[in-house]
Amino acid sequence: MTSITAPDLTGPATAARPRIGREWTLALPLAAFFAVFFVTPLLLLVAVSLYADAEMTRFGLDQYIRFFGDTFNLAVLGSTLLLGVKVTALTLLFGYPLAWLYTRSGPRMQSALILVIILPLLTSVVVRTFAWIVILGRDGIVNNLLLSLGLAEAPLRLLYTEGGLVAALVQVQMPLMVLPLITTLSRLDPNLLDASAALGAGPWRGFLKVTLPLSLPGIVAGCLLTYAAAVTAFITQSLVGGGQMLFMPQYIYQQTITLHNWPFAAAISIVFMVSVLGVVMLFNLLGRASKGYVHA
Amino acid sequence: MTLDRRQILAAGLTLGAMSLFPGMSWAQARKLVFATFTGSWEEAHRDVIVPHFRKATGNADIALDPMLSVDMIAKVSAAKANPPIDVMLMDPGPRLSVIGQDLAAPFPVADSKNYQDLLPVAQLPEGPGIFFQAVGITYNPEKVKTPPTSWDDLWKPEYKGRVGITNMNSTLGTAFMVELAKTRGGGENDIEPAFAALKELQPNLGAVAPNPGALATLFQQGQIDISPGNFNAIQILRARGVPVEFAKPKTGTIAFLTTAHITKNSPNAKLAAALIESAMAPEVQTKLMQAPFYVIPTNAKVQMDGDIARMIAKDQEELKASFVFHDWSVINQNRAGWIERFNKEIKV
Repeated sequence: MTSITAPDLTGPATAARPRIGREWTLALPLAAFFAVFFVTPLLLLVAVSLYADAEMTRFGLDQYIRFFGDTFNLAVLGSTLLLGVKVTALTLLFGYPLAWLYTRSGPRMQSALILVIILPLLTSVVVRTFAWIVILGRDGIVNNLLLSLGLAEAPLRLLYTEGGLVAALVQVQMPLMVLPLITTLSRLDPNLLDASAALGAGPWRGFLKVTLPLSLPGIVAGCLLTYAAAVTAFITQSLVGGGQMLFMPQYIYQQTITLHNWPFAAAISIVFMVSVLGVVMLFNLLGRASKGYVHA
Repeated sequence: MTLDRRQILAAGLTLGAMSLFPGMSWAQARKLVFATFTGSWEEAHRDVIVPHFRKATGNADIALDPMLSVDMIAKVSAAKANPPIDVMLMDPGPRLSVIGQDLAAPFPVADSKNYQDLLPVAQLPEGPGIFFQAVGITYNPEKVKTPPTSWDDLWKPEYKGRVGITNMNSTLGTAFMVELAKTRGGGENDIEPAFAALKELQPNLGAVAPNPGALATLFQQGQIDISPGNFNAIQILRARGVPVEFAKPKTGTIAFLTTAHITKNSPNAKLAAALIESAMAPEVQTKLMQAPFYVIPTNAKVQMDGDIARMIAKDQEELKASFVFHDWSVINQNRAGWIERFNKEIKV
C-alpha cells in the first residue's frame, strides 16, 4: 500500500467519481418522511423529558437526576445492556457454525438451510415467543424430557427466569446474526484457506488466522443487529421474562401507560437510547479496528 | 361553479348510500363510535348491545372501536373539541381520570327508563355502571382437590411453587394487593401488610405474570395451579376446555364497576345516551349474563342463573353482600409509589 504515490491515488479516483447531478433529490421524499415521523417525535421526546414534574408544568433536569440518583434504575439499565451481551454472544456462538455449514454445503442443502434460517422471520414474534412458553412451562417439553429421563426429580422453573429468556431471545433473533454471516462467509475466497493449508496451517490455525479475521465485518454487522433487537425486545422480554424481571422497555411502558408519568418515561427512553447507541458505537469501533487488522 | 365527473360521481354515491343506509337520514354527523374493551367484551357487545341499540334508534350507524380505557382517555384528551369517540367504557381507576380531566358529559338521568333499576352502587350520574368485573381465587380443580375458600389458602405449604400473581401494573394486581392489605389490617392507605404478606408468599410463587392475560395462559401451560383471577378471563379458558374453576373468598369477591360515559363535545350525544340506555336494559343484561358471555349484570331486574348464579351470586342481595369495592381515589394517589416498591422488592 505504501508504495502507491499520492498523485496516482487521487488522479484516477476523481476521474472515476460520478458527477453529482440532481439525483440526490430522489432521496428527498424519504428524508421528508424521516423528518416528520422520526426526527420530530424524537425532539418532542427530548422536550417532554425536560419537564420537572409528572404534570408537565415546569422545566428542569429533575427526571434525569431522579434516574441517576437511584441505584435501582442503574441496575435495570445495566441488566438490560448485559442481557443484550449474553444473547449476542450466544447467538454468535450458535450462528457461526450454521453460517459456516451453509457456505460449505451443496446447492440443495443450501436451499433447505436457508428455509430453516428464514422460516422464523415468516412468523410473528408473538407466535415464536408463545412457543417458548409451551417449551419452558412446568408441563413443557423440556421439563417432561428431564423428568422422563430421570435427570430431574421435580419440574424445574424455566419460564420467567433469565436463562429461559436468553434461550428464547437467541432463537428469536438468530436470523439477524446468521444472514450477515452467510453474506460475508460466501464472499470469502476458498483458495485462501487452501493456501494456508498448503503453507502448513492446521484446520484450527487456518480458521483463527484466515477465516475468522476475514469474516469480522459480518460478525460485527450480525452482532449490531442482534444486540439492538435483543435489548429492545419488549414482547419476548415480558412474555418469557415475566412480570418481576424488569428491563428498560417494560420500565418505559410501565411509566407511560400505567403511571402516566410521561416526563420520567421520556427521560429513561433517552438514557436507554444513548446507552444502546454507545454500545453500538463500540461495536463499530471494533469493526473498524478489525479492518486494520485484516489489511495489516 | 362547474361540475366535473368526480363531483357528480361523489354526489351520486352519497345519495345512493343514503338510500341504502337510512340511518344516515337520522342527521348523524358521523357513525356513533363506541369504544369497547378488546377480545370477548367486544364480541359480547357486538352481539347483544349493538342489535338492541339499532332496533331502538331505527338502525342508527354505529362502529365499535375496541381498546383499553387508558387509550380511550389518551385519544379523547388529544382532541377534546372534536373527540373521535362517543361512548367510553371505564374501569374504576381510569374513570376518576375522565371525571378529573372533565372528558365526559353527564348521563341524562331524568330521561332514562332503566337508570333507576340499576343497583344503587351503579347509579352514577357521571356515567352509569353497565357491568361488574369480579376477582376471586382461580384454581385448577385437577391439582387443587379442596376448593379454596380464603385468600390465605394461597400461603398453604402444599402450593409451593404453584401460585401465580401479576405485577401491580394491572388493575387485577393492584386490587389483589389492596385486598391483601385489607384482610391483614391495612387498606388503601396502608399497603404495608400486603408487601409483608407477599414476602411470606415468595416460596409459593411460581410466576409473576406481566399482565392478567398472561396469567390466565399459565393455567393452560400447567405452570401454576392457583392464583387471583378475573371471573371473565376464567370463563374464556373454561370454554376452551382448560380445567380451571373460580372460588369466592370468604372475605368477599373483589368487584370493579365498569361505567359507560358520553364523551364531552360528542356530535352524537343523543345516540350515545341511547346506546348506554340499551346497555342498561334488563333484556340486554339478561342475555349478556348467559353463556357464552357471563357478564355480571348491574340491573336489579335481571334474574341470576347459570354460572353467574353458581359462582358469583344467586341474586342481587347475595351480590351486594359478597362484593367488596375498593376506593380508587385513594389507590390512584398511592399507586406510583406502590409500583416502584413492587419493582424493587418482589424478586422470584
